[in-house]
Formats: sequence, C-alpha cells, structure tokens
Amino acid sequence: MDLAVDLSGITKRFGAFTANDGIDLAVRRGEIHAIIGENGAGKTTLMNILFGLLQPDAGSISIGGKTMLIDSPAVAINEGLGMVHQHFKLVPSLTVADNIFLGMEIRRNGLIDRAAQVERTRVLSEKFGLRVDPQERVAGLSVGIEQRIEILKVLARNARTIILDEPTAVLTPQESRDLFQTLRSFVDDGMTVIFISHHLEEVMAVSDTVTVLRDGRVVATKPKNALTKRELVRLMVGRDVSFDRRPRTRNEGAVALEVTDLWARDDRRLTALKSVDLTVRAGEIVGIAGVAGNGQTELAEVLSGLRPASHGRAQLHGHDILDRTPAEIRNRGLAHVPGDRMVRGVDRNASLSANMLMGRQNKEPFARLGVIDWTAVHGAMRALIQRFDIRARGPKDPARSLSGGNIQKVVLAREFTAGGDMLLIDQPTRGVDIGAQEAIHDEIMRQRADGRAILLISTQLDELKALADRILVMFDGRIMGAVDGAEMDEDAIGLMMAGIDPADLTEAS
Amino acid sequence: MTNRLLFPRLFSKGLARTLAGQALAFAIALALGAIIILMIDESPVAVFMTLMRGAFGDAEKIASTLLQTTPILICGIAACIALRGGMFNVGIEGQLFLGGFAAAWVGFAFALPPVLHVLAAMTLAVVAGALWIAIPAFFRVRFGTNEVVSTILANYIATLLTSYLTIFLFKRPGGWSETPPILTSAYLPELFSFSRLNIGLLIGLALAVGVAAFFRWTSAGYAVTMVGSAPKFAEYGGVSVRRVGFGVLLVSGAVGGLAGGVETLGVHHRFMEGFAPGFGFDGLIAALLANGSPIGTIFTALFFGALRAGSLLLEVDTTASREIITVIQALIILAVSADLMMRRRGDRTGERRWKF
Repeated sequence: MDLAVDLSGITKRFGAFTANDGIDLAVRRGEIHAIIGENGAGKTTLMNILFGLLQPDAGSISIGGKTMLIDSPAVAINEGLGMVHQHFKLVPSLTVADNIFLGMEIRRNGLIDRAAQVERTRVLSEKFGLRVDPQERVAGLSVGIEQRIEILKVLARNARTIILDEPTAVLTPQESRDLFQTLRSFVDDGMTVIFISHHLEEVMAVSDTVTVLRDGRVVATKPKNALTKRELVRLMVGRDVSFDRRPRTRNEGAVALEVTDLWARDDRRLTALKSVDLTVRAGEIVGIAGVAGNGQTELAEVLSGLRPASHGRAQLHGHDILDRTPAEIRNRGLAHVPGDRMVRGVDRNASLSANMLMGRQNKEPFARLGVIDWTAVHGAMRALIQRFDIRARGPKDPARSLSGGNIQKVVLAREFTAGGDMLLIDQPTRGVDIGAQEAIHDEIMRQRADGRAILLISTQLDELKALADRILVMFDGRIMGAVDGAEMDEDAIGLMMAGIDPADLTEAS
Repeated sequence: MTNRLLFPRLFSKGLARTLAGQALAFAIALALGAIIILMIDESPVAVFMTLMRGAFGDAEKIASTLLQTTPILICGIAACIALRGGMFNVGIEGQLFLGGFAAAWVGFAFALPPVLHVLAAMTLAVVAGALWIAIPAFFRVRFGTNEVVSTILANYIATLLTSYLTIFLFKRPGGWSETPPILTSAYLPELFSFSRLNIGLLIGLALAVGVAAFFRWTSAGYAVTMVGSAPKFAEYGGVSVRRVGFGVLLVSGAVGGLAGGVETLGVHHRFMEGFAPGFGFDGLIAALLANGSPIGTIFTALFFGALRAGSLLLEVDTTASREIITVIQALIILAVSADLMMRRRGDRTGERRWKF
C-alpha cells in the first residue's frame, strides 16, 4: 500500500494533559482522509506534530515511506506537505500574488520580480481551478477567496499532501461546495488531502477514509462507505446522540411577536428583507430555514434594534419595536442570541462575569445607584456555570480561554436568564460540539416548556427538524413558505431554499 | 482590596506581559540614550546621576518635580479616559490652552470671594476644554471622522486662538505677550512655603483614584470599557455606542481643560504665549506607558516630571544640553509604541481601535 503519511504511536503531553495518546494514522496516497473528533480530541495537535510545529514525546513519522524527524515546518514543506490553517495568515495590504510568494519571492537582479509572480499565480490558479485575481489586494476579499489564496500558497510550495484544519468553519455552504470540488480534483491529480473537521455532513460528503479521534486516541479508522452518520456520532461522542424530533406537548399561548410587511437593507444598501410576515406565539418554536445570506441575519438584527427597517411593522406584545434602540427592545422582553457570537455575543478579552453583566449593568441585584456589586455578579455567574454546565474554572476566566461551544453556552446562559419571554436565537449550535449541541437543544426545549416564544434561525435542517414547531423558509429576503415541523417535508424545504415555490411546481405539472 | 483599587481590572490581564514589555522598552530607550550621551563626550552615568539629583536631590527639588508632574498627570488622566472608550484624544494640549486661558480670564476680569473665585475659574476651564473637543467629538460620532487627526489639528487652532486673544484683546500693558495677572482670590492654595507646588497635585491624585474607581465599579464605567474593547458587543447589549463615545471624549476634553485651569491658577497666575511646553503630549505618552490605567499614570507622569525637573540641573552641572531630555523622551516614546504595536498584532479585525 502506498502511504503518503504514516504516523505510529504518536504521543504528546502538555503537563498532566495527554493531547495525543499513541496515535496511529496511515494516509494512503491519492485519498481524502478526514480526521474527525470533537473540540479538544487532539486533531489539531496531531497535525501540528505532522507539520513540525510541535515535537511528539513518543512515536515516529514517515513520509512517502521514509521515517524522519520533522523538527520544523521547513522540513515538512520540503517533504511535500502543506498546511492550510484554520485562521488565515495573509497580509491584507499586499496583493494576492505578493501574499502567495511571501518568503519565497521570485527575484531578478536582487529585486522582486512582480510580473513573474503574477504570471506564476495565474498559471497555478488556472491549473487548479482556484480563481483569483493575482493583482488584487487581499484586504476586502471574502473569506472564501482568502482560503483559495492560502491553498495556492501551499501549492506554490509544491505540496503533494495538503492538510486543511477545519476549512469550512468560515465558509458559506456555496463556498464549501466549491472547496470540496477543488479537493476532489486534487486527489484526481494524485495528490493527498488530510481534512480536519468536526462537521459530520461534510465529512460524509467529501472523504474517502475517516479516522475518528476521541480524548487523544484513535477510536476508529474506516472507509467512509462503511460508516453511517449515526455510527460516526457514536464514535466521536462515545454515546448515542439523538437527532430525533424532540417530544413535546402543545402549549401555544398568546401572540408574542408579530411582523408584518417588513423590509430592510443590508450593509451594501441592497434590499435584504422583502415583505416578511411572521408570527411567534408563546410556547412555540418557529424555525427559519434557508441558506446563509438570504436575509436571516438582517431579520435578527432588525428585530433586535441593531439595524433600521426601511418599511413595515413589528410588534412585541403589542408594542412597536421598529426604530427602538436595542436597550428599549430588551426591556420589552426580547433576548437575543446573536449569530456572530465572537463579535456580537461576547467580549473575548473580558471575564465571564463582565460578559454576563452586559445588558443588566444597571439592574439590581448587580448594581445599585450606578455602582456595580462585583461580588453579586461573580456569584450569579458561578451559578450559571453550574446550571449550564459551562466548562470554565470560574467567573473570572476570560471568555477567550473557553472553547466555542462553551462561549456559546455563556451567551445562552446570559440571554435565557435575562428575563425576556421572547427568545431570538440565531445559529445556536454553529461550531459547537455534538455533545454540547444536545445540551443546548435541551435548554431550548426547556425554554419552550416554560412558555417562552422562540424564533430559531438555523442553516442546519437537522436542528430545525428536531426543535421547531413550524418552519419558515427564507430565500432572497422573502419567506417562501411554511412547513409543519412534525411532518417536515425535506423536498419542499429544499425547493423553497432554492427559491422555488412548491405550489408553482404543482401547477406546472 | 487596596491592591485591586491600585490595579483595576485592566491591569490584572496580562500584567506580567505588560510589565515585562514596558520594562524592556524602557531599558532599550535608556541604553540608546546612553549611546547618544557618549557621542557628545559626556558620561551617561554622570548625566543620569545629575538628573536624579536634579529631580530628587532635596525637598525643594522634589517639590519642583511634583510641580512638573501635576499637569502631566491631569493630562494623562484625560488621555486614559478616551483610551478606555477606545479613542485617542491627541488634542489635550489644545484643551489645556483653552482651559488655561478661560481660567485666567475669570481670574483677572472678575472680582469674586476667594473660594468661589477659584471654583468659577475652574468651572469655566473645564467647560472650555469640553467645548473645544466637542467639535472633533461630534464629527467622530456623527460622520466617523478619525479623531486622532481632528484633535491634533484642533491643537494648532487652540494655540493660535489663545495667542490672538492674549495679544490683541487682553494684553497686559507692557512688553510681554501675556494677560494681566489674576487676582489673588483666584490663586490655588500652595502646599509648602518654599515652592509653587499647590493643591493641583492633590486634585490630580484624587482624579486618578476617582477615574480608576469609576471604571472598576460603576455601571457607566463598565459601559465605557465595553464600548472601548468590544463596540459591537456593547451595541448589541443595549449600550448606545455613539452617545457613550461622545460623552467619553467630552469628559476627556473637560479634564484637559482642568489641567489648564490648574496651571493658570496654581503656577503662572496669568495666561501667556507658550503657556504649556507640551504637557498635553507628555500626558498622552504617560497614559500610553501606563497602559491606560489612571493609577499607573501617576507613576509614569512622575517619571516625566522628574525628567523635566532634573534637566534644569543638567545644564548647570554637565556639558549636556537639557535637550537630551527630549531625546530620551522621544526614545521612550518610540520604544513604547513599538511595544504597543507588538501587542496589537493579534488583533485580526483590522479595525483601528486601541485596546487596553
């Protein structure tokens, strides 16, 4: 068997913590090999060892059949390895070509030969079908294109085995599909791809072989075709996790949120919401499905007062909330879990307590006469850490020291305890571990049982299927139609997500 | 508890990293300064010893150091306030000039009972500083104008405007371009018989403690800190980013004006051209050096005050010019800003915000 990479017995300890525990990994040449596991399972550590960024405490690495010591990324690159990191490392003020050849500039007479760099970039870009404009500045390019540049950087260094660390975390579904196509064309060319992910769908969609890591150990290495999604989850989490629809009793109450003929523009001043109508009652979960970028974010922002509406009406418990400040809307009872939690949802550098205090810094018992009682704040945060099972040492930990899933729990804990009876939840489990997803879903169901009205925006149909009582599908700023959550018709939703009204189809046929 | 007051939250975060970085910046600046002193054939040791003696040699010299420290400290606090809100007030010099002039005007143009006179003059100084920054502040929150540029430019207007007022409207009879002296009822009480050191220093210290406590313990201080470190989060949480931003700049300018008032009523007892030799800029640097902490600014301001006071003896006792102080200061600024840039590197948002 022709192995591109063969790791055996790799062990890496950080103090008392064992990140990698005797890991064996054999990657065949010309395959897409996915490494899947929850956050903290040891995926990134393993790849950093392979790429020479970390040294293992035990074990051996062989590349292309020869066992070797990889003590720096330079050695790894020399052996034809290339790594595309999760966070891109591009210089925004330089052009695409300059970025690609940064550190290995093509020189003529001691000066950088820009024309040659541009030409080389163009050739690479055409050869691998990664469309970029070599002379464009990186600042202002979309993340999808930035990732293409990172991949081109690796290709320009003659990589034959490409490691991608969580490549889709920052991409839209469309960009992800493009990426998968590119990866497929790489292996058709005889290259090898190692693909790190904790996202089940994409692993099932793109990989040939799957290695599952849990707690620093390899739990299984199997061909993708021999695995089902359910099996994969059990391997990752170590127990069965249910994606089934949550059992529920009807407890619909009065109308909480009523939106009629709502219009709004996005940041580019284009119309993002087109005559949106919806109603959310107490004790029900209304889901909003749709491909990301079809107005969901704008809808959430308008309802929470962060974006002006251009036209229409939105009432929370009979009070108009358009053109109100975020503070006024909060005081009317809206709690908002934002889609972009790292920017909107938390201050990563502040403590958990300071993050929890947001929105209630003027309210008793946290403040009296404008003076904050930090003892009370820390106490309340400690209670939330308990109740929401947040993995943190204490309320004074900075938010950035937590994993994405735990940061999301901090946001949920704050918003669910803010006293609002209308919950606006945008992408509750994006980037969150499967185990933690289940806990978040439990909490959302508990809020429903408590009689809260919930508007749940998600790009993951599974999530809506499990939670929502009704699902509205958004496309291009419009609500295309509604589906009952209990008898969810995936075909109908799929059509509406693509902008086709199922009713039209029936008429046509 | 005392310790927490002295080092408010912003100081606890990465304290070691901050201190180490700044100590290194200092060491590099002093080493470069030593090289320059060697180049003019002086002994760096002699120069630094003379500086120390000039700054702390006896009670009188210590008082003179503290006298120089006072305006730098108050200006530094003005800078800290803006920095905590994520903004840069480079116009403190101008606010100081206008505050100084306003206080002088109240001082010589009105006759009021002693305490009331001081209060009236100080109030007008504060108002003048706040009004002066209101223009750049308005443009910042309304149109997103870069406040660094607009406050710097406002400095030139302030200096020239007060010059004009002094020379053409309020000039004292006689040769100097200065206003008439203020009445003794408007003098700030002095602390010792042997120095002009006055209660301005105590005002500065009280302000530092008060501002630190404000950021540490009040709801409003929390809101300002959040607007400074995570504006989108603050907006989402219901804090009005514009209103807070405007308010923060206004208060920062008001404190700048106060610094001018203290200089007029406590030291010069009049307003004249070249009223303050760069106190506003020194204050800003002192605040940056202290990483935006008002309590830390007490110490950095003292350092700059000592350099200024010590330089007087330098010309008497050594062949080095007192300008060497400016050189050392400039080196420190360079070294510290290099350290700041290194700290800002991790910020991927690309947004021009100063995080503390």
